[in-house]
Amino acid sequence: MARILLLEPDRLLAQTYVQALSAAGHQVVACASAQAAVMAADDARPDVVIVELQLIEHSGIEFLYEFRSYTDWRAVPIIVHTHVPPGEFSDNWELLRHELGVKQYLYKPHTSLAKLKKAVAALQPASV
Amino acid sequence: MVSQQLLLNIAEELKLPLIQIARQAELGQLSGSTDLRSMQATADTALRLLDNYVLGVRLSMEPHQFDMEPVSVSSVLYDTGQQLDSLAKNYGVELELSIAGRYEPVMAHKQGLQAALVSLGAALIEALPALETPQLKLQLATHRSRYGIVAGLYAATDRLTNQALQNGRKLRAARQPLMNFTHTSGAGIFVADAILQAMQLSLKASRHHRLYGLGTVLPPTNQLQLV
Repeated sequence: MARILLLEPDRLLAQTYVQALSAAGHQVVACASAQAAVMAADDARPDVVIVELQLIEHSGIEFLYEFRSYTDWRAVPIIVHTHVPPGEFSDNWELLRHELGVKQYLYKPHTSLAKLKKAVAALQPASV
Repeated sequence: MVSQQLLLNIAEELKLPLIQIARQAELGQLSGSTDLRSMQATADTALRLLDNYVLGVRLSMEPHQFDMEPVSVSSVLYDTGQQLDSLAKNYGVELELSIAGRYEPVMAHKQGLQAALVSLGAALIEALPALETPQLKLQLATHRSRYGIVAGLYAATDRLTNQALQNGRKLRAARQPLMNFTHTSGAGIFVADAILQAMQLSLKASRHHRLYGLGTVLPPTNQLQLV
């Protein structure tokens, strides 16, 4: 079981992911904006963070910089789960991976719930 | 002319409902319970966006094929609300009709006007929960301005500005041109924009009471006032 902070702006998708991850035994806190996710992190104490890059006002990248600026959250594994195809990020992969600590990059249209759950399982505390 | 940029925009936008349906179906298989009503509303909204895009293209290519007629703005707003109802339920957004007073008919292409308002409304409904407004409420409203009768959609957010709309038009080919108020490609807003433009109207930011929104000004017809 992992505590997951899910940053997903689309309400319908957020509901679906929360249901699927909860059914797999995880505890999920969903937020629709970067600001709400930063605020929620203290209470959620996440083991894993799942982030969409396309958000309103602040991007997922901005959220990650903010999130990583807190000492407590520097080691938390991040899964980017996004509408942005990985090809658009190929030049910035080093930044995502090394500077922001992104462990997995999942392109949303090609990521089933099963694949998302597998990615979380691979990063949850017992297997880290 | 409706551009290729808009088509790109729509292609991006349509990924969202398809992902929603695919994941809801997968969840249904796992849990044994599928929310068919929600999936139907999602599919219907995607189909409407495509239809409205096609209408926008036809209107801009063959404007003479589409007759103007006396249109009651109140009735268009009512029908728009009906079409958006299922999607609004999916997103937990309350729709409210605000038509105070009597308004004379305007000359417009009814189907076009309604298609524009439905596209706009669907885009705003999808965006509202992520905007974290104090209330998840979208008002379909009309009021009189010095330029004519305004028909629009309004919410408690001050991000729906002409500046944001102008910037979005310039960045239409970008992945997220209206970053200030939607996490999507905003195709519904650009389809509304294109349809209104084809009808010699324009999409603009406006205010209704204390709410902010997007709408269009419809010039009243003096001749019709005599009828």
